[in-house]
Amino acid sequence: MDLNENKKRNRIHSSFEDKIVKGFAIVFISVIAIACFYPLLMVLSVSLSDNAVVTKKGFSAIPQAFTLDTYRYLFSRSGDRIARSYIVTIAITVIGTLGAMLVTSMISFALSIKDLKYRNAISFICNFTIIFSAGLIPWFIVCNNYYHLRDTYAALILPSMFSVWSMFLLRTYFSSVPISLYESAKLDGASWYQIWWKISLPLNKTAMLTVGMIYALGYWNEWWNSLMFIDDHRKYPLQYILYNVMSNVKAISSGKVPPGAAANIKLPSETMKMAVTIITIGPIIFLYPFIQKYFVDGIMTGAVKE
Amino acid sequence: MKEFKKNRQLYLMCIPALLFLIAFAYIPMAGIWMAFTDYKLLDGVFGSKFVGLHWFKAFFGVTTNSGAKFNGMGLRSVYNTLYINFFGLIFGTIIPITIAICFNELKHKGFKKVTQSAMFFPYFLSWVVVGAIIFAFFSNSSGIVNRVLESVGHDRIRWYAEPKYWKAIIITADVWKWCGYNSIIYMAAMSNFDPSLYEAATVDGANRFQRIWYITVPLLKPTVIVLVLMSIGRIFFGDFGMIYGIVGNNSLLYDEVAVIDTYVYSAMKSLGYSYTTAIGLMQSTLGLILVTLSNYFAKKVNEGEGLF
Repeated sequence: MDLNENKKRNRIHSSFEDKIVKGFAIVFISVIAIACFYPLLMVLSVSLSDNAVVTKKGFSAIPQAFTLDTYRYLFSRSGDRIARSYIVTIAITVIGTLGAMLVTSMISFALSIKDLKYRNAISFICNFTIIFSAGLIPWFIVCNNYYHLRDTYAALILPSMFSVWSMFLLRTYFSSVPISLYESAKLDGASWYQIWWKISLPLNKTAMLTVGMIYALGYWNEWWNSLMFIDDHRKYPLQYILYNVMSNVKAISSGKVPPGAAANIKLPSETMKMAVTIITIGPIIFLYPFIQKYFVDGIMTGAVKE
Repeated sequence: MKEFKKNRQLYLMCIPALLFLIAFAYIPMAGIWMAFTDYKLLDGVFGSKFVGLHWFKAFFGVTTNSGAKFNGMGLRSVYNTLYINFFGLIFGTIIPITIAICFNELKHKGFKKVTQSAMFFPYFLSWVVVGAIIFAFFSNSSGIVNRVLESVGHDRIRWYAEPKYWKAIIITADVWKWCGYNSIIYMAAMSNFDPSLYEAATVDGANRFQRIWYITVPLLKPTVIVLVLMSIGRIFFGDFGMIYGIVGNNSLLYDEVAVIDTYVYSAMKSLGYSYTTAIGLMQSTLGLILVTLSNYFAKKVNEGEGLF
């Protein structure tokens, strides 16, 4: 149908109610969008403000007396610590994501082949872990007492290395590859490994990127396993450093610590807390415009089941 | 056996993933036995003394002869979990649906792109970062909320010492973090609606509101029901990361916001591994029952298509 004609017809039908609906939509969407983005803008601008001004005037979404001093001070005083935990975070993100993609893509590929007789049984083994779990304590005891994960980098990587949800998502993508492609490769004498590596993966690049980024985001934002297993300061990932900074701050903020003791704990300034937050979000801020469409794509595929 | 020979490579490709599931999901299930024993580290999981349902009774306050302190905090954490999840579910459904419907009514590409990016952003932040942002709002001296209160002549509130506000703050944060993500799910569903329905309605003189109310909303119903059922299946599970990221281990706020998951963690050392394993087992079992039921009903509304 002709688009212009359609538009014209819409215009004719456009009534007073239509304008109200549209007006409401614009206002509602704008309010939610601002509510979602404003806090981040505020954190960023406070981290770029002068601390004395912030203490006097309070937080604001526009930098007050713009300065990079907070970051300079932070890096000169605890630059080593930040650099170290940046390396820890980057390392677990890279190693974890690559490992997870390998493990996940292999099983997703295998389960996408309809020829595989026991694929339903294997799917069920995966499914069951979603609907029933042992609970935190047995999991913790097994990891801590039997696998000896305490204070190891493995504790930050291994427990999140395979996600059943990501497997299902990837399998949906893999299943859309026509089986005839595989069959002809089989006739040419290719093994399943070769088909997976040379045909399936290249055909599903976007899917792999999507799943890879879901894993990477998970590893970047990881602090729960650190809370469970890591005591050694040098092994703290970024998020866990922020967690520790903030939980001291909140404890003092509640007034629960006696004032005498509070005076002894040196608190980071307001601008410093926000600068640490920005450093923790790190590359997500810069990469966000480029990566968000993969996540949208992933959600859409996950939601629209065939 | 012939099958394994024929597809050996494919089965081998499943093994690494299955090993992870065995190590981190199935082997811990053996530890559930602790819920029925008086676990002592030296005796090991299977060497400890069998005590039957002692810990389950203790949870409901039937017996307290073990000397451990059971102050009803367990039941309180169940209440908190249900409270936070219930309101999170209500607002976390209504707001994303409204976003998706409004979004569908707008045409301007640039506006849509910018606003969607903004709404989706909170999903990318960890709960620790969200906790820091909430601190920026509610800190005593420089927090925005207190500044606003002062400017209208109200006294400052010491938020981090006032438990009564925190359920609401946590529910808001939960809805805030997920509204963009969830609205995308509804938009995905909408993109599959038959455009000819809308065209026909327009020809018949239906205005925008009528098209939303009589076409979009009914068509969205199955998706909404499935997502709501999924949430109900997990209504006994609190979000550990959310509570710890926002409140941390602040003991003043603890009673008001402790969910089952955080209660289990914090009681692990004081009340023992066996007691907390028993609580976790009750939670998982209820979860299993509810998820199975939800799946059954989801299949009914969704023409045989379950949640998994």
